[in-house]
Amino acid sequence: MNPVVSEETLHAFIDDELTVVESEALIVRMRNDPELAQRVCALRTLGGMIRLAYTDPPVVARRTQSVQRQQLARSCALGCLMLLAGAGGWVARGLEAEAPTAMVTATIMPDAARAVSLVQPADPDRLMLHLDSDNPARMEETLDRAEALLGAAASQGRSIQIQIVLNSQGVNLVRAGVSPHAWRLARMARLHTNLHFVACSQTIARFHAQGQRVELLPVATQVPTAIGEIVNRLQQGWTYVRV
Amino acid sequence: MRYMSMIVRLLFGPYPPCAEAHRPVLYRIAYAWCHDAALADDLVQETLLKAWTRRAQLRDENALRAWLVSIMNHCWLDHLRRRRDFEDVEDWQDTLQSVTDSPEDCCTREQVVEAVRAAVAQLPLGQRQVLTLVDLEDFGYAEVATILEIPVGTVMSRLSRARARLKILLEPVTGRQGAQVSLRRVK
Repeated sequence: MNPVVSEETLHAFIDDELTVVESEALIVRMRNDPELAQRVCALRTLGGMIRLAYTDPPVVARRTQSVQRQQLARSCALGCLMLLAGAGGWVARGLEAEAPTAMVTATIMPDAARAVSLVQPADPDRLMLHLDSDNPARMEETLDRAEALLGAAASQGRSIQIQIVLNSQGVNLVRAGVSPHAWRLARMARLHTNLHFVACSQTIARFHAQGQRVELLPVATQVPTAIGEIVNRLQQGWTYVRV
Repeated sequence: MRYMSMIVRLLFGPYPPCAEAHRPVLYRIAYAWCHDAALADDLVQETLLKAWTRRAQLRDENALRAWLVSIMNHCWLDHLRRRRDFEDVEDWQDTLQSVTDSPEDCCTREQVVEAVRAAVAQLPLGQRQVLTLVDLEDFGYAEVATILEIPVGTVMSRLSRARARLKILLEPVTGRQGAQVSLRRVK
């Protein structure tokens, strides 16, 4: 493999222009190369800042029209007046179409009632989402929430880290051949290098003891225990949210 | 221009709602290109008018957004040609820059926005167009190449140069933002 990844390749990666195979190879490389991951993260941050800068472009209040347009407008006015007489209702229909398009800005914050942090105020940029169930709705909620948080942070130009901690039946989210969201997880991992999935080794050992074969998707890593991971991260100032 | 829009509607009926729905997108792109709210509004209006008159040319409804942006690109180039007598489009696409202040140190959201806009405005027009289409509207490289009528290789090189330049211009901003998470090597 080429020892240096070119800027153009990284651009193509964040712009989703690489093939799946190329992207996956790069993701694998990033896991072992923090500097590379940092370069990708910096590019994404730049993209987020650009989007932020033009989310609400200033709206023009009042301005002068060019002479050319005024002449054109005047020449059209006659035809307009003639049509007005016979087409009142139809005209109103045409004008209705000009309803301003509302810009919907999603503001998603972790549910305060379910968030735990050892620091005050809770850090909104380092989050653990804990899932211990394979209830489809809760799995989906976890992924939706992570995506919403990552998207909101990107649009605000903030750098955020999210770790999805899985134990008990929640581990099924990252089990190859079991997870209903394998494709979505791969996509999320490709888009967000700052999103991590960790699965509890004790749970996996328990599944093994029950005679189940457990194979994790490439996006997930194992930690000795989910609870230990949560406590460690809480002590490091992370915010915990149980989904 | 509002009057024009109303009159055209009176004479010919409303725009197809789907085209009208792209007004915010077009405005955002136009503003990112020219950084002038009044001019951006004019460009969008002109684009929608032209789109209406040429609506028969649109074969694929799914390509509407790209088609509208490509019309707006022509409107924008026409505007520039009227404003200055450029002999060669290629020349100024690589050199024309908006006249704005350099980005300075900043910390608030508003200041970040201002700094980024100032930095983007400093990019040569060709780079600015590619960057905004890719980063603001998620157009693929091939789509951008079609819209701006340039080779894909040019799209990639302009994008690369634009991002590299922005990285330098915005270092005061990103440096401060990232100060907590990244350490700079000091020798």
